[in-house]
Amino acid sequence: MFRFIKVTGNSLSPSYQEGDYVLIGTCSFFFGINVGSNIVFTHPDYGLLIKRVSRIHPSGDYYEVRGTHPQSVDSRIFGLIPKKYLVGKVLWHISQS
Amino acid sequence: MFHSFVQILDHVFHFQKAKAHCDIPCGIYDPHQAQVAALTVVRMIDLMEGLAKREEKGSVAYDNSMSRYIAVKEEHAELTKHEIRIIWGDFMKGKKLDENPNLHDLVHQIMLLGSSARQSADREVALQLVDAVNEFAKIFWDVKGVETKTAKAPYAPSLEMVYPVL
Repeated sequence: MFRFIKVTGNSLSPSYQEGDYVLIGTCSFFFGINVGSNIVFTHPDYGLLIKRVSRIHPSGDYYEVRGTHPQSVDSRIFGLIPKKYLVGKVLWHISQS
Repeated sequence: MFHSFVQILDHVFHFQKAKAHCDIPCGIYDPHQAQVAALTVVRMIDLMEGLAKREEKGSVAYDNSMSRYIAVKEEHAELTKHEIRIIWGDFMKGKKLDENPNLHDLVHQIMLLGSSARQSADREVALQLVDAVNEFAKIFWDVKGVETKTAKAPYAPSLEMVYPVL
Protein backbone atom coordinates (compact mmCIF):
# COMPACT_ATOMS: atom_id res chain seq x y z
CA MET A 1 0.00 0.00 0.00
CA PHE A 2 3.00 2.33 0.59
CA ARG A 3 6.28 2.54 -1.29
CA PHE A 4 9.33 4.77 -1.30
CA ILE A 5 10.49 6.00 -4.71
CA LYS A 6 13.62 8.00 -5.54
CA VAL A 7 13.26 10.97 -7.90
CA THR A 8 15.64 11.38 -10.85
CA GLY A 9 15.66 14.19 -13.43
CA ASN A 10 14.56 17.78 -13.05
CA SER A 11 11.20 17.99 -14.77
CA LEU A 12 9.39 18.83 -11.55
CA SER A 13 12.03 21.25 -10.34
CA PRO A 14 12.09 23.40 -8.31
CA SER A 15 9.43 21.49 -6.29
CA TYR A 16 11.16 18.11 -6.70
CA GLN A 17 14.88 17.82 -7.14
CA GLU A 18 17.01 14.94 -8.33
CA GLY A 19 17.75 12.71 -5.33
CA ASP A 20 14.55 13.53 -3.41
CA TYR A 21 12.38 10.68 -2.17
CA VAL A 22 8.62 10.31 -2.19
CA LEU A 23 6.35 8.02 -0.25
CA ILE A 24 3.49 6.90 -2.48
CA GLY A 25 0.19 5.30 -1.71
CA THR A 26 -0.49 2.59 -4.22
CA CYS A 27 -4.23 2.25 -3.65
CA SER A 28 -5.94 5.11 -5.53
CA PHE A 29 -9.29 4.04 -4.10
CA PHE A 30 -8.13 5.15 -0.64
CA PHE A 31 -5.97 8.08 -1.57
CA GLY A 32 -7.96 9.70 -4.40
CA ILE A 33 -6.34 11.45 -7.37
CA ASN A 34 -7.23 15.11 -7.91
CA VAL A 35 -5.98 17.92 -10.12
CA GLY A 36 -2.70 19.00 -8.52
CA SER A 37 -1.90 15.53 -7.15
CA ASN A 38 1.58 14.26 -7.92
CA ILE A 39 1.42 10.75 -9.28
CA VAL A 40 3.86 8.01 -10.20
CA PHE A 41 2.97 5.96 -13.26
CA THR A 42 4.58 3.56 -15.72
CA HIS A 43 4.66 4.73 -19.31
CA PRO A 44 5.40 1.97 -21.86
CA ASP A 45 8.04 4.08 -23.63
CA TYR A 46 9.44 6.26 -20.86
CA GLY A 47 9.31 3.90 -17.86
CA LEU A 48 8.45 4.98 -14.33
CA LEU A 49 7.61 8.70 -14.25
CA ILE A 50 6.50 11.22 -11.65
CA LYS A 51 4.30 14.11 -12.83
CA ARG A 52 1.57 16.43 -11.60
CA VAL A 53 -2.06 15.87 -12.65
CA SER A 54 -3.26 18.93 -14.56
CA ARG A 55 -6.63 17.61 -15.68
CA ILE A 56 -8.76 14.52 -15.20
CA HIS A 57 -10.75 13.26 -18.16
CA PRO A 58 -14.53 13.42 -17.48
CA SER A 59 -14.67 9.60 -17.67
CA GLY A 60 -12.20 9.48 -14.76
CA ASP A 61 -10.13 6.93 -16.67
CA TYR A 62 -7.38 9.22 -18.01
CA TYR A 63 -5.08 11.83 -16.52
CA GLU A 64 -3.40 14.74 -18.22
CA VAL A 65 -0.03 15.25 -16.55
CA ARG A 66 2.50 18.07 -16.60
CA GLY A 67 6.00 18.67 -15.34
CA THR A 68 6.66 22.09 -13.88
CA HIS A 69 9.80 22.56 -15.93
CA PRO A 70 9.11 24.19 -19.34
CA GLN A 71 11.04 21.45 -21.18
CA SER A 72 9.28 18.62 -19.40
CA VAL A 73 8.19 15.56 -21.35
CA ASP A 74 4.56 15.13 -20.33
CA SER A 75 1.06 14.83 -21.79
CA ARG A 76 1.96 17.50 -24.36
CA ILE A 77 4.33 14.90 -25.81
CA PHE A 78 2.84 11.51 -24.93
CA GLY A 79 -0.87 12.31 -24.50
CA LEU A 80 -3.23 11.29 -21.70
CA ILE A 81 -2.25 8.66 -19.16
CA PRO A 82 -4.72 5.76 -18.75
CA LYS A 83 -5.63 5.00 -15.15
CA LYS A 84 -4.20 1.49 -15.56
CA TYR A 85 -0.67 3.01 -15.84
CA LEU A 86 -0.99 4.53 -12.36
CA VAL A 87 1.40 3.19 -9.73
CA GLY A 88 0.53 5.52 -6.89
CA LYS A 89 -0.10 8.98 -5.50
CA VAL A 90 2.63 10.96 -3.76
CA LEU A 91 1.70 11.25 -0.09
CA TRP A 92 4.96 12.54 1.34
CA HIS A 93 7.77 14.41 -0.35
CA ILE A 94 11.10 13.93 1.42
CA SER A 95 13.28 16.74 0.16
CA GLN A 96 17.05 16.95 0.54
CA SER A 97 16.87 20.53 1.79
CA MET B 1 17.07 14.36 8.72
CA PHE B 2 14.24 12.30 7.22
CA HIS B 3 16.04 12.40 3.88
CA SER B 4 19.21 10.93 5.40
CA PHE B 5 17.17 8.22 7.08
CA VAL B 6 15.35 7.32 3.86
CA GLN B 7 18.68 7.43 1.99
CA ILE B 8 20.01 4.75 4.37
CA LEU B 9 16.87 2.67 3.72
CA ASP B 10 17.46 3.17 -0.02
CA HIS B 11 21.01 1.80 0.28
CA VAL B 12 19.58 -1.31 1.92
CA PHE B 13 16.37 -1.85 -0.07
CA HIS B 14 17.26 -0.15 -3.40
CA PHE B 15 14.06 1.81 -4.05
CA GLN B 16 12.73 2.10 -7.58
CA LYS B 17 13.52 5.35 -9.38
CA ALA B 18 10.84 7.54 -10.98
CA LYS B 19 12.03 9.90 -13.68
CA ALA B 20 10.84 13.47 -13.60
CA HIS B 21 12.83 13.62 -16.78
CA CYS B 22 13.52 16.49 -18.99
CA ASP B 23 14.74 15.28 -22.35
CA ILE B 24 12.85 16.23 -25.45
CA PRO B 25 12.71 12.96 -27.38
CA CYS B 26 11.85 13.65 -30.99
CA GLY B 27 11.01 10.01 -31.63
CA ILE B 28 12.99 10.02 -34.90
CA TYR B 29 15.32 7.03 -34.94
CA ASP B 30 16.94 5.48 -38.01
CA PRO B 31 20.09 3.35 -38.21
CA HIS B 32 20.78 4.54 -41.77
CA GLN B 33 23.20 7.23 -40.64
CA ALA B 34 25.21 4.65 -38.69
CA GLN B 35 25.26 2.34 -41.72
CA VAL B 36 26.49 5.08 -44.05
CA ALA B 37 29.10 6.14 -41.49
CA ALA B 38 30.39 2.54 -41.19
CA LEU B 39 30.48 2.26 -44.98
CA THR B 40 32.45 5.51 -45.13
CA VAL B 41 35.09 3.98 -42.85
CA VAL B 42 35.65 1.18 -45.39
CA ARG B 43 35.71 3.70 -48.23
CA MET B 44 38.35 5.82 -46.50
CA ILE B 45 40.56 2.76 -45.93
CA ASP B 46 40.24 1.88 -49.63
CA LEU B 47 41.23 5.43 -50.58
CA MET B 48 44.15 5.35 -48.14
CA GLU B 49 45.42 2.07 -49.61
CA GLY B 50 45.00 3.39 -53.16
CA LEU B 51 46.86 6.57 -52.33
CA ALA B 52 49.72 4.67 -50.69
CA LYS B 53 50.20 2.65 -53.89
CA ARG B 54 49.85 5.60 -56.26
CA GLU B 55 51.46 8.68 -54.74
CA GLU B 56 54.95 9.31 -53.54
CA LYS B 57 55.06 9.26 -49.76
CA GLY B 58 56.18 12.50 -48.19
CA SER B 59 54.90 14.75 -50.98
CA VAL B 60 52.62 17.59 -50.01
CA ALA B 61 49.79 16.10 -52.11
CA TYR B 62 50.20 12.73 -50.39
CA ASP B 63 50.22 14.19 -46.88
CA ASN B 64 47.25 16.38 -47.65
CA SER B 65 45.08 13.56 -49.04
CA MET B 66 46.15 10.99 -46.47
CA SER B 67 45.46 13.29 -43.53
CA ARG B 68 42.03 14.10 -44.95
CA TYR B 69 41.15 10.40 -45.37
CA ILE B 70 42.31 9.62 -41.84
CA ALA B 71 40.33 12.53 -40.40
CA VAL B 72 37.15 11.42 -42.17
CA LYS B 73 37.70 7.80 -41.09
CA GLU B 74 38.08 8.94 -37.47
CA GLU B 75 34.98 11.10 -37.64
CA HIS B 76 32.77 8.44 -39.22
CA ALA B 77 33.89 5.61 -36.94
CA GLU B 78 32.94 7.83 -34.01
CA LEU B 79 29.67 8.84 -35.71
CA THR B 80 28.81 5.15 -36.13
CA LYS B 81 29.28 4.61 -32.40
CA HIS B 82 27.32 7.74 -31.54
CA GLU B 83 24.31 6.87 -33.70
CA ILE B 84 24.14 3.31 -32.39
CA ARG B 85 24.43 4.50 -28.79
CA ILE B 86 21.50 6.89 -29.26
CA ILE B 87 19.17 4.24 -30.72
CA TRP B 88 20.26 1.67 -28.15
CA GLY B 89 19.96 4.05 -25.20
CA ASP B 90 16.85 6.00 -26.13
CA PHE B 91 14.79 3.68 -28.32
CA MET B 92 15.59 0.12 -27.29
CA LYS B 93 13.79 -0.24 -23.97
CA GLY B 94 11.67 -2.72 -22.02
CA LYS B 95 9.99 -5.28 -24.22
CA LYS B 96 12.20 -4.41 -27.20
CA LEU B 97 15.22 -5.45 -25.16
CA ASP B 98 13.53 -8.54 -23.72
CA GLU B 99 12.77 -9.75 -27.25
CA ASN B 100 16.37 -9.17 -28.39
CA PRO B 101 18.56 -10.49 -25.58
CA ASN B 102 21.73 -10.36 -27.71
CA LEU B 103 21.40 -6.64 -28.37
CA HIS B 104 23.67 -5.50 -25.53
CA ASP B 105 26.45 -7.78 -26.77
CA LEU B 106 25.97 -6.58 -30.34
CA VAL B 107 26.14 -2.92 -29.31
CA HIS B 108 29.25 -3.60 -27.23
CA GLN B 109 30.80 -5.32 -30.24
CA ILE B 110 30.01 -2.25 -32.40
CA MET B 111 31.66 0.02 -29.82
CA LEU B 112 34.81 -2.13 -29.85
CA LEU B 113 34.90 -2.41 -33.64
CA GLY B 114 34.32 1.35 -34.00
CA SER B 115 37.29 2.01 -31.73
CA SER B 116 39.46 -0.51 -33.58
CA ALA B 117 38.48 1.11 -36.88
CA ARG B 118 39.75 4.43 -35.53
CA GLN B 119 42.97 2.95 -34.18
CA SER B 120 43.92 0.99 -37.28
CA ALA B 121 43.58 0.99 -41.06
CA ASP B 122 42.51 -2.65 -41.09
CA ARG B 123 39.88 -3.19 -43.79
CA GLU B 124 38.75 -6.45 -42.20
CA VAL B 125 37.86 -4.61 -38.98
CA ALA B 126 35.91 -2.01 -40.96
CA LEU B 127 34.00 -4.77 -42.78
CA GLN B 128 33.13 -6.37 -39.46
CA LEU B 129 31.87 -2.98 -38.29
CA VAL B 130 29.58 -2.71 -41.35
CA ASP B 131 28.28 -6.25 -40.74
CA ALA B 132 27.57 -5.58 -37.06
CA VAL B 133 25.80 -2.29 -37.84
CA ASN B 134 23.73 -4.07 -40.52
CA GLU B 135 22.75 -6.68 -37.95
CA PHE B 136 21.71 -3.88 -35.59
CA ALA B 137 19.69 -2.23 -38.40
CA LYS B 138 17.91 -5.52 -39.09
CA ILE B 139 16.94 -5.84 -35.40
CA PHE B 140 15.83 -2.18 -35.33
CA TRP B 141 13.49 -2.59 -38.31
CA ASP B 142 12.20 -5.93 -36.98
CA VAL B 143 11.29 -4.18 -33.72
CA LYS B 144 9.46 -1.51 -35.74
CA GLY B 145 7.63 -4.25 -37.67
CA VAL B 146 9.22 -3.12 -40.94
CA GLU B 147 10.37 -5.71 -43.46
CA THR B 148 13.99 -5.46 -44.62
CA LYS B 149 15.95 -6.44 -47.70
CA THR B 150 19.66 -6.81 -48.36
CA ALA B 151 21.10 -5.02 -51.39
CA LYS B 152 24.44 -3.67 -52.55
CA ALA B 153 25.02 -0.01 -51.74
CA PRO B 154 24.77 1.97 -55.00
CA TYR B 155 28.16 3.58 -54.39
CA ALA B 156 31.69 2.45 -53.56
CA PRO B 157 32.56 0.28 -51.72
CA SER B 158 29.30 -1.37 -52.87
CA LEU B 159 28.89 -3.60 -49.81
CA GLU B 160 25.74 -5.51 -48.95
CA MET B 161 23.54 -3.34 -46.77
CA VAL B 162 20.25 -3.85 -44.92
CA TYR B 163 17.49 -1.52 -46.11
CA PRO B 164 13.90 -1.14 -44.88
CA VAL B 165 11.19 -2.04 -47.37
CA LEU B 166 8.89 0.97 -46.99
